[in-house]
Amino acid sequence: MAKVTLKIKRFDPQREPASWWSEHALEAEPTERVLDLLNRVKWEQDGTLSFRRSCGHGICGSDSMRIDGANRLACKTLVSELGSTITIEPLLGMRVQRDLIVDLEPFFAAYRTVKPYFISDAPPPPDGRERLQTPAQRLRFDDTTKCILCACCTASCPSFWASSEYIGPASIVQAHRFIFDSRDEGAGERLQVAGETMGVWRCHTAFNCTLACPRGINITQAIGEVKRALATGRVE
Amino acid sequence: MSPLRTVITGSVRYRGREGQLAFILHRLSGLGTLLFLALHILDTSTVYFFPALYKEALALYRHPLFMLGEIFLVAAVIYHGTNGLRIALFDLFPRLWRAEREKPSVYTTLAVTVVLWLPAAFIMGRSLIGHTFLGWE
Ligand code: FES
Repeated sequence: MAKVTLKIKRFDPQREPASWWSEHALEAEPTERVLDLLNRVKWEQDGTLSFRRSCGHGICGSDSMRIDGANRLACKTLVSELGSTITIEPLLGMRVQRDLIVDLEPFFAAYRTVKPYFISDAPPPPDGRERLQTPAQRLRFDDTTKCILCACCTASCPSFWASSEYIGPASIVQAHRFIFDSRDEGAGERLQVAGETMGVWRCHTAFNCTLACPRGINITQAIGEVKRALATGRVE
Repeated sequence: MSPLRTVITGSVRYRGREGQLAFILHRLSGLGTLLFLALHILDTSTVYFFPALYKEALALYRHPLFMLGEIFLVAAVIYHGTNGLRIALFDLFPRLWRAEREKPSVYTTLAVTVVLWLPAAFIMGRSLIGHTFLGWE
């Protein structure tokens, strides 16, 4: 057991217009996760503390937040990785609704612009089963299938901070997942969206997204591959 | 928060690593160079419009602060170019954009910048000292 202090950035427009900090002293095991601490604060100290969480196991992507200055999932961050004072803030560049909850609607609107669904006019195979591809073809986009849409990457991107119109790394990861899928025929439409002013060229390779991704996706590489497909006109 | 405030908050407080540093330096060196070039085009244009003013502009370039600024300008130009080459190379082979490459590549960029800058800084520093303290013409 170690003593830790949780410093949480709070905001509740119904209580007061400006944000403030709340501090909570806790005893914590090094194997506990930040999400456990937040739950304990909410259950035992201050029931008004608001944050999103659902699965608690790094699958749903609900509890993305800035922990000690960098975006992470609270449910995948151990107390042992952090110091004795843990600072928790909402994601940057998104409108804070309350405490650690930000408005993700614009994020999902950007996500929808890249048409994140299978597009193909080809008739399904005669046996009515799945459309086959080789293991190598499947591997081509394997990395970008791991995205859980937590927004850690997009909210860590300096280009996104400068302009929330930028579709952001998460949307490009989703576009990549379909553009490089041998079964999909929508690459042209998606590349058009990615090639617009608020598309991939806004990426200035600050690399924060790759480091923030809780799934370890090589996001900057994926964005680079989409850029290259646009520049060469070839999807390979 | 306004975008500008978000950018400043993020740049100062977001815990990015070498990539974020390289990006911020790239922006600052780019903007600094642009500002200098704009000034330089303006003052050089006086040679045509107001020749008398041009002489004063030249004298300004001999001011120690300006000469010092020019030494940093060279650093900015070299860094901007070197880092630009790093990005171009990585974008050509996107597989290079990996976490394990980020730190070495940024440090190499900084090292190359310093190595290329030192001779220029030496020559310019010498003339700065000469003009300011030793009465060189
Ligand atoms: S609560 Fe689902 S990812 Fe953390």
